Amino acid sequence: MMILTNLRRRPSRTAFTAAGIAVGVATIVALLSFTQGLSNTAAELTHLGGSDLGVFQANVSDPTTSLLPASLVARLQRKPYVQDATPLLLMVEAVRPQPGAVVFGAQPSGFFARRLVIVDGRRELGAGDILLGDRLAAHMHLAPGGTLTVHGRPFRVAGIYHTGIFFEDSGAVMALASARRLTGRPAEETNIVVNLSAATSAAEATKSIEREFPGTQVISTPQQALRAGANSTLISKAILVIVVIALIVGAIGVTITMALSFIERQSELGLLSTVGWSSGRIAALILGEGIAVSLLGAAFGLLLGVVGGDLLVRVLGVGSYVTPSFTAWALGRGLLVGVAIGVLGGIYPAWRVTRMKPLKALSGT
Amino acid sequence: MSDPAGAAVVVEGVSKRFGRVPALTDVSLAVGSREAIVISGRSGSGKSTLLALIGGLEQPDAGRVLIDGEPIWTRRHPAHVRRDVVGFVFQRHLLLDPLTAQANVEVPLLGAGLRPAERRRRARSLLEQVGLADRAEHLPSQLSGGERQRVAVARAIANEPRLLLADEPTGALDSVTSERVLDLLFDLRDRLGTTLIVVSYDLAIGPRADRTITLIDGQIVEEGA
Repeated sequence: MMILTNLRRRPSRTAFTAAGIAVGVATIVALLSFTQGLSNTAAELTHLGGSDLGVFQANVSDPTTSLLPASLVARLQRKPYVQDATPLLLMVEAVRPQPGAVVFGAQPSGFFARRLVIVDGRRELGAGDILLGDRLAAHMHLAPGGTLTVHGRPFRVAGIYHTGIFFEDSGAVMALASARRLTGRPAEETNIVVNLSAATSAAEATKSIEREFPGTQVISTPQQALRAGANSTLISKAILVIVVIALIVGAIGVTITMALSFIERQSELGLLSTVGWSSGRIAALILGEGIAVSLLGAAFGLLLGVVGGDLLVRVLGVGSYVTPSFTAWALGRGLLVGVAIGVLGGIYPAWRVTRMKPLKALSGT
Repeated sequence: MSDPAGAAVVVEGVSKRFGRVPALTDVSLAVGSREAIVISGRSGSGKSTLLALIGGLEQPDAGRVLIDGEPIWTRRHPAHVRRDVVGFVFQRHLLLDPLTAQANVEVPLLGAGLRPAERRRRARSLLEQVGLADRAEHLPSQLSGGERQRVAVARAIANEPRLLLADEPTGALDSVTSERVLDLLFDLRDRLGTTLIVVSYDLAIGPRADRTITLIDGQIVEEGA
């Protein structure tokens, strides 16, 4: 009764404190959702074209900057544990109006290109042709016969495809030879996607490939994909730091607010002590107020984080790279951080209450 | 009451300093059950400090205070004494502004193990006893000074204390309202059998009490009927 009454009687203070917490929680929720989105994106990168694994250059800051010699595909295909392998040349930020769209240079005869389900137009890829994912086509309002400019060169849209993989459907596919000419890399590819023979596990194949082909790294799980990219690791660490900073700043803010409230309300707290409330009970009241206002802030923060995160991705047009993924765990962590801020912020004033002398408090000094 | 045996309140050789300033020096006093006493003296004589020590709001530097034969600072936390045994009325009413009169009276009952309905019923009954049943849903800001002080009295007796301590209860009231509040306090003593200790500089209260004790510079200098 007292907790809610006390919060209601100071609406401005409650609102501002809750707003501060809401911003912190929203930031955390948005960042966690982006991290999860990165992981999801990485998962899709792992299984491009429905492959079991991808082979990349080792020790690159970002898998999309990987470079492998063209000769590697044939050597891989000879391995007994490989059922099929096909090279890809990835071009990022190649489509000016949609910088998030990835253009895949793929062998038309490879399983990556064969797996594309053509929903409009034709599959055949001539030298000046390109296939568009249905999401990219919808975004750019393009249909077969239209033109897409890649790295400043116009390509005729031959067809529209759908794979069900967000990364691919938001991008485009051209012939590997065209991509090599466009990038000036006649004998290189970014990565090789591999389908394994039925009896081979991804873990076994990973060990074999990395042993037999030095300088390569195999990505077969989203975790490996995240680890492979120094940028993703950097982002994850940065997010951790931001979460901790938000926690500290939020807790300091709530502590200051609660401490001011404590000073202002000494007479009232002294009265509660006088009528028989124990120090622990009064401290619980103070702590309870801190937690209640934090829960209020956290609730708004969750809403703000979900809506704001989605909005941010749309405004920045980076939906192809990362789509915020709001898991229950991310929302739960946001809520936990909000409550933690309330607890941490209420601890000092609550401790002060336990040392309060009722007579002195009654006089408000 | 000179014989401390069987007294409701016993103060034994109590001294209290605030920093270097002595507030009370070796004060001893016994107050009988159902007795009403007035502690008088000038400002700074130590009378409010003596009341605070009796009520467990302050701890003595020397000596001890016993209520019903038990020292209040050794048997349990004094908060329990204040909750179960003592009721306070102050010069300022100290009502909680956002709470109605009834909710203010309920504050000491929170945590007393009563169901909300019983708590409300008792608070309503207490407001009836102080003549404010029709003001139960009013906020303190909607009440007169005398009404606020009567709500404070209702709050003080909410836990049915055996000892009612009043520190300048009429200090902020006009003479007519003061009379009503004093009537109420002494009437409660008579009806509920509560021991009543009133601190006041107003000598006119003396005749209402069984005894008057006068303090000067932290020491009892006069005690009389």
